[in-house]
Amino acid sequence: MANLMPKRRLENIGLSITGFCVALVALVVVTLIFMVAQQGLTTFFVDGINPIDFFFGQNWIPEQERYGALPMIVGSFAVTLLSTLFALPVAIGSAIFVVEVAPTFGRRVFQPVIELLVGIPSVVYGVLGLYVVNSLVKAIFGDAAPTGAGILSGAIVLAIMILPTITTLSMDALRAVPNQYREGSYALGCTRWQTVWHVVLKSALPSLMTAVILGMTRAFGETLAVQMVIGGVERSMPTGLLDPASTLTAALTAGLSNATSGSVYYHALWSLGLLLLAMSLVFILIIHLIGRKGAKANG
Amino acid sequence: MSKFDLSRRQFVSVMGAAAAVAGLGLAGCGSTGNDSSASDNGGDGSSTLMGSISCSGATSFQPLVEAAADAFMEANPETSIAISAGGSGQGLSQIADGSVQIGRSDVYAEEKLEASQCEGLVDNQVCIVGMGPIVNAGVDVDDLTLDQLKGIFLGEITDWSEVGGTAGTIQVIQREAGSGTRATFEAAVLGGETAPDSFRPVAEVDSSGTVVEQVAATDGSISYVAFNYMEGDGIKALTVDGVEPTQANVESGDFTIWAYEHMYTREDESEDTAPLTQAFIEFMLSDDFAATVVEQGFIPMGDMQVKKDADGNITAA
Repeated sequence: MANLMPKRRLENIGLSITGFCVALVALVVVTLIFMVAQQGLTTFFVDGINPIDFFFGQNWIPEQERYGALPMIVGSFAVTLLSTLFALPVAIGSAIFVVEVAPTFGRRVFQPVIELLVGIPSVVYGVLGLYVVNSLVKAIFGDAAPTGAGILSGAIVLAIMILPTITTLSMDALRAVPNQYREGSYALGCTRWQTVWHVVLKSALPSLMTAVILGMTRAFGETLAVQMVIGGVERSMPTGLLDPASTLTAALTAGLSNATSGSVYYHALWSLGLLLLAMSLVFILIIHLIGRKGAKANG
Repeated sequence: MSKFDLSRRQFVSVMGAAAAVAGLGLAGCGSTGNDSSASDNGGDGSSTLMGSISCSGATSFQPLVEAAADAFMEANPETSIAISAGGSGQGLSQIADGSVQIGRSDVYAEEKLEASQCEGLVDNQVCIVGMGPIVNAGVDVDDLTLDQLKGIFLGEITDWSEVGGTAGTIQVIQREAGSGTRATFEAAVLGGETAPDSFRPVAEVDSSGTVVEQVAATDGSISYVAFNYMEGDGIKALTVDGVEPTQANVESGDFTIWAYEHMYTREDESEDTAPLTQAFIEFMLSDDFAATVVEQGFIPMGDMQVKKDADGNITAA
């Protein structure tokens, strides 16, 4: 009987429940960062691996105790940037179409379809990638890509995966542009294209960049789908887009089952995890910076 | 009670650990053993086995262990054996810290663990796995010498014409670093040499099933798998130095690419579970179970005429 309870007590109960939730979340985050950092830093402080060798070493060969993460760092950034490059034009293009040209179609048909894509588990993308993208790359490039697995295949699969993320966020960004801007532009005699290009896209730019960064964050952190199509070669630097490679996430997953806890290899894998964590913090920081700049620009 | 005060923080740290593990994409974790409370081996009850143990580690012979556990639990209805996957590394870590009663591994514990962690571990070799090279069915080479195999996996031989086939690039498909199958194959074939940094396989895949698929799909490819994976469309098993990869040839010592499958236990295992663990391992080694071992493509210990030490030296048994 909540309404029989004294008001003040109810207030206190609410305060403590919500406060507890906040404390719990904060504790989980802090513990997580602490754990990853503790294990990840052991590589450098206890096992005595030189951080420079770790971040710039070009060979990841655990059985020779060589832990150079550069092949995976390059792999991760290559697939992330390439996939963004592939997905961005399509995402922004379709966002412009459904927001500026055919809003009803956008709301009724396009949005639900896109949202469906967001919910598809990554293993499904991985399987599709393995059987469709890899075979396609193999068929097109022949002997240059004997298995079809490589950075290009990884980037294509990732592009498809992050497309819905970037598209939905871009649609929201374009919708958030006040209608007065468009009306003002039309009143000045601008065509629809001029309005979109000079007014809508420009004022939505900060939110669009947030959309891109969020897409990149997803691409950077994606594990399973990439692992299935990229080939998983960690031992040395990839030399081309058709070369099999590995990413930080893929190397981490593939390695953990074989590493014994407490070994240098195990700690080195945690260092990869720490690197991933640091990268996602950087991405979040960029989003916040853009948000602040955007708020300033729009007054 | 100070312990009580910590309970929330402990809960959170466990949650944090779980989240960290999940967030890092770690799949599959070993179940911790729940010690039986019912087991009371005080004399008269010693004939009936009770309790539950858990066994985690290598996936390569997991189906065999599962088959053994099913048969064993049927014969001893009051026992429970939980089998979980995780890889040799995890199996060894978990037996080293005592969180499971049996840790499965494809390699000797000494190769993966520190010497101090190996103390108190008992190596139970339960069966033998033979491995051999497989190639894409389109490759017109049927036999390689051990030296040729070595050359291919060290990146020195890169074209099939160098080993008597039609000209074409040799596409090497490897298992991932740290794989037990890879360790066994490299120990037997490379003899301690390592491939140069410049050598890049076309793929490093993380399971034998995927190896078979990839070899079948890739022209001119070569890789290696355990005997039980050697059948399939699009792949072809090679003979090595003219010796066929068969159980009989491994037993006689003619075929040299093989390794023991290990089930590590602890010397200081608690008395609640030790009899069950021992009985289960004895069952895996028993003559009754040998038929299943063969059926699943492994080789029972009993028939071997040779043995291999941890350094890979083969001697008559």
